[in-house]
Amino acid sequence: MLIIFIRAIIIFVTLVVIMRLMGKRQIGEMQPFEFIITLLIAELACVPMTDVSIPLVYGVVSIIAVFILHQILTILEQSSQRFKSVIDGKPAVVINKRGVDIKELKKNNMDVSDLLESLRTTGNFSLDSVHYAIYESNGKLSVLKSEQKDASNQLPLLLVYEGKFDKNNYKLLKLSDKIFDNFLKQNNIKSLKSIDILTVASSGECYLQLKNMPYKKVHFDFSEDVKW
Amino acid sequence: MVKSIITVIIATFIVVFGAFLESVSLNKTFDEMIICIDQIDLKLEDEVCTTDDILSLQTLWIESKKHLHIYIPHTEIKELDLWISECVMSVKLEKFDEARIKLEVVKELCEQIPKTFNVKVENLF
Repeated sequence: MLIIFIRAIIIFVTLVVIMRLMGKRQIGEMQPFEFIITLLIAELACVPMTDVSIPLVYGVVSIIAVFILHQILTILEQSSQRFKSVIDGKPAVVINKRGVDIKELKKNNMDVSDLLESLRTTGNFSLDSVHYAIYESNGKLSVLKSEQKDASNQLPLLLVYEGKFDKNNYKLLKLSDKIFDNFLKQNNIKSLKSIDILTVASSGECYLQLKNMPYKKVHFDFSEDVKW
Repeated sequence: MVKSIITVIIATFIVVFGAFLESVSLNKTFDEMIICIDQIDLKLEDEVCTTDDILSLQTLWIESKKHLHIYIPHTEIKELDLWISECVMSVKLEKFDEARIKLEVVKELCEQIPKTFNVKVENLF
Protein backbone atom coordinates (compact mmCIF):
# COMPACT_ATOMS: atom_id res chain seq x y z
CA MET A 1 0.00 0.00 0.00
CA LEU A 2 2.78 2.37 0.97
CA ILE A 3 4.68 1.42 -2.19
CA ILE A 4 1.69 2.35 -4.35
CA PHE A 5 1.29 5.59 -2.42
CA ILE A 6 4.94 6.61 -2.88
CA ARG A 7 4.95 5.56 -6.55
CA ALA A 8 1.86 7.69 -7.17
CA ILE A 9 3.60 10.66 -5.55
CA ILE A 10 6.74 10.15 -7.68
CA ILE A 11 4.71 9.97 -10.90
CA PHE A 12 2.64 13.01 -9.95
CA VAL A 13 5.69 15.14 -9.14
CA THR A 14 7.41 14.01 -12.36
CA LEU A 15 4.36 14.96 -14.40
CA VAL A 16 4.12 18.39 -12.75
CA VAL A 17 7.78 19.08 -13.54
CA ILE A 18 7.46 17.84 -17.13
CA MET A 19 4.28 19.82 -17.76
CA ARG A 20 5.94 22.97 -16.46
CA LEU A 21 8.95 22.38 -18.70
CA MET A 22 6.71 21.81 -21.72
CA GLY A 23 5.38 25.35 -21.46
CA LYS A 24 1.94 26.74 -21.94
CA ARG A 25 1.04 25.24 -25.29
CA GLN A 26 0.39 21.79 -23.77
CA ILE A 27 -2.27 23.00 -21.38
CA GLY A 28 -5.81 24.02 -22.16
CA GLU A 29 -7.89 26.03 -19.73
CA MET A 30 -6.47 24.32 -16.68
CA GLN A 31 -3.60 24.90 -14.32
CA PRO A 32 -0.78 22.41 -14.98
CA PHE A 33 -1.40 20.33 -11.86
CA GLU A 34 -5.15 20.29 -12.44
CA PHE A 35 -4.50 19.01 -15.95
CA ILE A 36 -2.29 16.24 -14.52
CA ILE A 37 -4.93 15.28 -11.98
CA THR A 38 -7.52 14.99 -14.76
CA LEU A 39 -5.14 12.78 -16.75
CA LEU A 40 -4.22 10.58 -13.80
CA ILE A 41 -7.57 10.11 -12.11
CA ALA A 42 -9.19 8.75 -15.28
CA GLU A 43 -6.46 6.16 -15.73
CA LEU A 44 -6.18 5.30 -12.03
CA ALA A 45 -9.90 4.70 -11.79
CA CYS A 46 -10.06 2.71 -15.00
CA VAL A 47 -7.30 0.14 -14.51
CA PRO A 48 -8.41 -1.52 -11.23
CA MET A 49 -12.01 -1.29 -12.41
CA THR A 50 -11.39 -3.42 -15.49
CA ASP A 51 -8.41 -5.59 -14.47
CA VAL A 52 -9.65 -8.08 -11.87
CA SER A 53 -6.12 -9.33 -11.12
CA ILE A 54 -5.29 -5.98 -9.50
CA PRO A 55 -6.69 -5.44 -6.00
CA LEU A 56 -9.11 -2.53 -5.90
CA VAL A 57 -7.17 -1.04 -3.01
CA TYR A 58 -4.30 -0.21 -5.41
CA GLY A 59 -6.57 2.14 -7.35
CA VAL A 60 -8.08 3.59 -4.19
CA VAL A 61 -4.68 4.28 -2.59
CA SER A 62 -3.29 5.97 -5.71
CA ILE A 63 -6.40 8.13 -6.05
CA ILE A 64 -6.06 9.10 -2.38
CA ALA A 65 -2.39 9.94 -3.04
CA VAL A 66 -3.40 12.23 -5.91
CA PHE A 67 -6.07 13.81 -3.71
CA ILE A 68 -3.55 14.46 -0.91
CA LEU A 69 -1.09 16.03 -3.36
CA HIS A 70 -3.83 18.19 -4.82
CA GLN A 71 -4.81 19.43 -1.37
CA ILE A 72 -1.19 20.07 -0.38
CA LEU A 73 -0.50 22.00 -3.59
CA THR A 74 -3.67 24.04 -3.12
CA ILE A 75 -2.70 24.89 0.47
CA LEU A 76 0.85 25.84 -0.54
CA GLU A 77 -0.41 27.93 -3.47
CA GLN A 78 -2.78 29.81 -1.19
CA SER A 79 -0.06 30.51 1.33
CA SER A 80 2.81 31.44 -1.00
CA GLN A 81 2.66 33.48 -4.18
CA ARG A 82 6.18 32.36 -5.10
CA PHE A 83 5.21 28.70 -4.84
CA LYS A 84 2.14 29.39 -6.96
CA SER A 85 4.27 30.86 -9.72
CA VAL A 86 6.67 27.90 -9.54
CA ILE A 87 3.87 25.34 -9.86
CA ASP A 88 1.46 27.15 -12.18
CA GLY A 89 3.88 29.43 -13.97
CA LYS A 90 3.47 33.15 -14.54
CA PRO A 91 1.37 34.90 -17.15
CA ALA A 92 3.59 35.81 -20.11
CA VAL A 93 3.15 39.14 -21.87
CA VAL A 94 3.88 38.18 -25.47
CA ILE A 95 2.68 41.36 -27.18
CA ASN A 96 3.37 44.75 -25.68
CA LYS A 97 3.54 48.27 -27.06
CA ARG A 98 6.86 47.56 -28.77
CA GLY A 99 5.45 44.55 -30.57
CA VAL A 100 5.91 40.82 -30.15
CA ASP A 101 8.21 39.71 -27.33
CA ILE A 102 9.99 36.81 -29.01
CA LYS A 103 12.06 35.95 -25.92
CA GLU A 104 8.88 35.50 -23.90
CA LEU A 105 7.41 33.33 -26.64
CA LYS A 106 10.48 31.13 -26.69
CA LYS A 107 10.41 30.78 -22.92
CA ASN A 108 7.01 29.17 -23.35
CA ASN A 109 8.12 26.98 -26.26
CA MET A 110 6.09 28.89 -28.82
CA ASP A 111 6.67 30.83 -31.98
CA VAL A 112 4.84 33.56 -33.86
CA SER A 113 2.68 31.10 -35.81
CA ASP A 114 1.38 29.73 -32.47
CA LEU A 115 0.73 33.28 -31.33
CA LEU A 116 -1.12 34.12 -34.56
CA GLU A 117 -3.21 30.97 -34.14
CA SER A 118 -4.11 31.91 -30.55
CA LEU A 119 -4.89 35.47 -31.65
CA ARG A 120 -7.25 34.20 -34.34
CA THR A 121 -9.16 32.16 -31.73
CA THR A 122 -9.74 35.43 -29.84
CA GLY A 123 -11.07 37.09 -33.01
CA ASN A 124 -7.95 39.10 -33.77
CA PHE A 125 -6.38 38.40 -37.12
CA SER A 126 -3.42 40.75 -37.17
CA LEU A 127 -0.66 41.44 -34.71
CA ASP A 128 -1.27 45.20 -34.67
CA SER A 129 -4.94 44.79 -33.74
CA VAL A 130 -4.01 44.28 -30.09
CA HIS A 131 -2.12 46.44 -27.61
CA TYR A 132 -1.29 43.62 -25.27
CA ALA A 133 -1.53 39.85 -25.43
CA ILE A 134 -0.91 37.71 -22.38
CA TYR A 135 -0.59 33.94 -22.18
CA GLU A 136 -2.19 33.09 -18.88
CA SER A 137 -0.74 30.32 -16.74
CA ASN A 138 -3.56 28.02 -17.88
CA GLY A 139 -2.44 28.43 -21.52
CA LYS A 140 -5.27 30.75 -22.57
CA LEU A 141 -4.53 33.96 -24.44
CA SER A 142 -5.98 37.21 -23.10
CA VAL A 143 -5.84 40.27 -25.33
CA LEU A 144 -6.32 43.99 -24.89
CA LYS A 145 -7.56 45.18 -28.26
CA SER A 146 -6.30 48.42 -29.77
CA GLU A 147 -8.89 51.12 -30.39
CA GLN A 148 -8.29 51.27 -34.13
CA LYS A 149 -10.25 48.63 -35.93
CA ASP A 150 -8.83 46.49 -38.65
CA ALA A 151 -10.64 47.97 -41.61
CA SER A 152 -8.75 46.17 -44.31
CA ASN A 153 -10.58 42.86 -43.83
CA GLN A 154 -7.46 41.12 -44.99
CA LEU A 155 -5.80 38.13 -43.44
CA PRO A 156 -2.12 38.87 -42.82
CA LEU A 157 0.36 36.12 -43.59
CA LEU A 158 3.61 35.54 -41.77
CA LEU A 159 6.37 36.09 -44.29
CA VAL A 160 9.52 36.33 -42.20
CA TYR A 161 10.13 35.09 -38.70
CA GLU A 162 13.51 35.54 -37.02
CA GLY A 163 15.20 36.06 -40.37
CA LYS A 164 13.66 32.96 -41.90
CA PHE A 165 11.43 33.03 -44.91
CA ASP A 166 8.08 31.26 -45.12
CA LYS A 167 8.16 30.00 -48.70
CA ASN A 168 4.51 28.88 -48.77
CA ASN A 169 3.23 32.31 -47.78
CA TYR A 170 5.68 33.88 -50.21
CA LYS A 171 4.04 31.91 -53.02
CA LEU A 172 0.53 32.73 -51.80
CA LEU A 173 1.34 36.44 -51.91
CA LYS A 174 2.78 35.99 -55.42
CA LEU A 175 5.87 37.93 -54.55
CA SER A 176 8.93 38.08 -56.71
CA ASP A 177 12.48 38.48 -55.45
CA LYS A 178 12.71 41.87 -57.15
CA ILE A 179 9.65 43.25 -55.37
CA PHE A 180 10.84 41.92 -52.08
CA ASP A 181 14.34 43.37 -52.53
CA ASN A 182 12.76 46.76 -53.30
CA PHE A 183 10.73 46.49 -50.11
CA LEU A 184 13.90 45.79 -48.11
CA LYS A 185 15.69 48.77 -49.70
CA GLN A 186 12.76 51.14 -49.06
CA ASN A 187 12.83 50.21 -45.39
CA ASN A 188 16.65 50.30 -45.05
CA ILE A 189 16.82 46.61 -44.25
CA LYS A 190 20.21 45.19 -45.13
CA SER A 191 19.53 41.53 -44.53
CA LEU A 192 16.67 39.19 -43.69
CA LYS A 193 18.38 38.31 -40.43
CA SER A 194 17.60 41.75 -39.03
CA ILE A 195 13.87 41.07 -39.33
CA ASP A 196 12.16 39.51 -36.35
CA ILE A 197 8.65 39.48 -37.76
CA LEU A 198 7.12 40.51 -41.06
CA THR A 199 3.48 39.82 -41.79
CA VAL A 200 1.88 40.96 -45.02
CA ALA A 201 -1.78 41.27 -45.93
CA SER A 202 -2.96 41.23 -49.53
CA SER A 203 -3.89 44.90 -49.21
CA GLY A 204 -0.18 45.56 -48.74
CA GLU A 205 -0.36 46.40 -45.05
CA CYS A 206 2.66 45.06 -43.24
CA TYR A 207 3.61 44.52 -39.65
CA LEU A 208 7.36 44.90 -39.51
CA GLN A 209 9.40 44.28 -36.41
CA LEU A 210 13.16 44.56 -36.68
CA LYS A 211 15.51 43.08 -34.12
CA ASN A 212 15.50 45.04 -30.83
CA MET A 213 13.21 47.66 -32.39
CA PRO A 214 9.55 48.47 -31.83
CA TYR A 215 7.25 47.30 -34.55
CA LYS A 216 6.04 49.62 -37.31
CA LYS A 217 3.32 49.50 -39.91
CA VAL A 218 4.58 49.85 -43.46
CA HIS A 219 3.11 49.37 -46.87
CA PHE A 220 4.07 46.81 -49.44
CA ASP A 221 3.53 47.62 -53.13
CA PHE A 222 2.50 44.58 -55.08
CA SER A 223 3.00 44.72 -58.81
CA GLU A 224 0.15 42.39 -59.56
CA ASP A 225 -3.18 41.47 -58.03
CA VAL A 226 -2.97 39.11 -55.13
CA LYS A 227 -5.90 36.79 -54.74
CA TRP A 228 -5.17 35.92 -51.12
CA MET B 1 -7.71 26.11 4.37
CA VAL B 2 -8.30 24.44 7.74
CA LYS B 3 -10.69 22.03 6.04
CA SER B 4 -8.02 21.18 3.45
CA ILE B 5 -5.39 20.56 6.12
CA ILE B 6 -7.77 18.30 8.04
CA THR B 7 -8.63 16.28 4.92
CA VAL B 8 -4.90 15.88 4.13
CA ILE B 9 -4.19 14.67 7.67
CA ILE B 10 -7.14 12.24 7.64
CA ALA B 11 -6.32 10.88 4.16
CA THR B 12 -2.64 10.45 5.06
CA PHE B 13 -3.59 8.74 8.31
CA ILE B 14 -5.89 6.33 6.44
CA VAL B 15 -3.10 5.38 4.01
CA VAL B 16 -0.40 5.05 6.68
CA PHE B 17 -2.66 3.08 9.01
CA GLY B 18 -3.76 0.88 6.11
CA ALA B 19 -0.12 0.30 5.17
CA PHE B 20 0.71 -0.62 8.76
CA LEU B 21 -2.16 -3.12 8.96
CA GLU B 22 -1.15 -4.54 5.58
CA SER B 23 2.45 -5.00 6.70
CA VAL B 24 1.47 -6.66 10.00
CA SER B 25 -1.07 -8.94 8.32
CA LEU B 26 1.28 -9.94 5.49
CA ASN B 27 4.19 -10.76 7.77
CA LYS B 28 1.99 -12.68 10.22
CA THR B 29 0.32 -14.73 7.48
CA PHE B 30 3.49 -15.65 5.65
CA ASP B 31 5.44 -16.29 8.86
CA GLU B 32 2.77 -18.82 9.84
CA MET B 33 3.00 -20.35 6.39
CA ILE B 34 6.78 -20.65 6.61
CA ILE B 35 6.61 -22.30 10.04
CA CYS B 36 4.11 -24.82 8.68
CA ILE B 37 6.25 -25.40 5.56
CA ASP B 38 9.37 -26.03 7.68
CA GLN B 39 7.52 -28.62 9.78
CA ILE B 40 6.27 -30.41 6.68
CA ASP B 41 9.72 -30.27 5.10
CA LEU B 42 11.22 -32.10 8.08
CA LYS B 43 8.58 -34.80 7.72
CA LEU B 44 9.22 -35.03 4.00
CA GLU B 45 12.92 -35.41 4.63
CA ASP B 46 12.19 -38.34 6.92
CA GLU B 47 9.57 -39.60 4.44
CA VAL B 48 6.91 -39.67 7.15
CA CYS B 49 4.73 -36.91 5.79
CA THR B 50 1.05 -37.80 5.45
CA THR B 51 -1.67 -36.40 3.23
CA ASP B 52 -3.24 -34.76 6.30
CA ASP B 53 -0.01 -32.84 7.00
CA ILE B 54 0.15 -31.34 3.55
CA LEU B 55 -3.61 -30.74 3.54
CA SER B 56 -3.19 -28.73 6.74
CA LEU B 57 -0.84 -26.42 4.83
CA GLN B 58 -3.35 -26.12 2.02
CA THR B 59 -6.16 -25.36 4.50
CA LEU B 60 -4.03 -22.73 6.22
CA TRP B 61 -3.33 -21.12 2.85
CA ILE B 62 -7.00 -21.18 1.79
CA GLU B 63 -7.98 -19.46 5.03
CA SER B 64 -5.17 -16.90 4.77
CA LYS B 65 -5.67 -15.97 1.15
CA LYS B 66 -9.20 -14.71 1.81
CA HIS B 67 -7.88 -11.47 3.28
CA LEU B 68 -4.69 -11.46 1.19
CA HIS B 69 -6.84 -10.84 -1.89
CA ILE B 70 -7.38 -7.31 -0.59
CA TYR B 71 -3.78 -6.24 -1.11
CA ILE B 72 -1.88 -8.87 -3.09
CA PRO B 73 -2.21 -9.16 -6.88
CA HIS B 74 -4.43 -12.15 -7.57
CA THR B 75 -1.87 -13.63 -9.97
CA GLU B 76 0.59 -14.15 -7.11
CA ILE B 77 -2.08 -15.86 -5.01
CA LYS B 78 -2.92 -18.11 -7.94
CA GLU B 79 0.75 -19.06 -8.31
CA LEU B 80 0.92 -20.18 -4.68
CA ASP B 81 -2.39 -22.06 -5.13
CA LEU B 82 -0.91 -24.06 -7.99
CA TRP B 83 2.38 -24.91 -6.25
CA ILE B 84 0.62 -26.02 -3.05
CA SER B 85 -1.80 -28.19 -5.07
CA GLU B 86 1.16 -29.84 -6.80
CA CYS B 87 2.77 -30.49 -3.40
CA VAL B 88 -0.45 -32.12 -2.17
CA MET B 89 -0.55 -34.42 -5.18
CA SER B 90 3.13 -35.38 -4.86
CA VAL B 91 2.63 -36.31 -1.20
CA LYS B 92 -0.51 -38.30 -2.07
CA LEU B 93 1.60 -40.23 -4.62
CA GLU B 94 4.36 -40.56 -2.00
CA LYS B 95 6.88 -38.79 -4.23
CA PHE B 96 8.58 -37.09 -1.30
CA ASP B 97 11.64 -35.76 -3.16
CA GLU B 98 9.43 -34.12 -5.75
CA ALA B 99 7.21 -32.73 -2.99
CA ARG B 100 10.24 -31.21 -1.25
CA ILE B 101 11.29 -29.39 -4.43
CA LYS B 102 7.79 -27.97 -4.87
CA LEU B 103 7.58 -27.07 -1.20
CA GLU B 104 10.83 -25.14 -1.57
CA VAL B 105 9.19 -23.06 -4.29
CA VAL B 106 6.22 -22.41 -2.01
CA LYS B 107 8.59 -21.34 0.78
CA GLU B 108 10.51 -19.04 -1.56
CA LEU B 109 7.26 -17.43 -2.69
CA CYS B 110 6.16 -17.00 0.92
CA GLU B 111 9.45 -15.28 1.71
CA GLN B 112 9.50 -13.09 -1.37
CA ILE B 113 5.90 -11.82 -1.53
CA PRO B 114 6.02 -9.78 1.73
CA LYS B 115 9.41 -8.36 0.69
CA THR B 116 7.90 -6.84 -2.46
CA PHE B 117 5.73 -4.65 -0.21
CA ASN B 118 8.66 -3.21 1.76
CA VAL B 119 9.56 0.39 1.03
CA LYS B 120 12.84 -0.12 -0.81
CA VAL B 121 14.38 1.48 -3.88
CA GLU B 122 14.11 -1.74 -5.91
CA ASN B 123 10.39 -1.97 -5.15
CA LEU B 124 9.73 1.67 -5.92
CA PHE B 125 11.38 1.79 -9.33
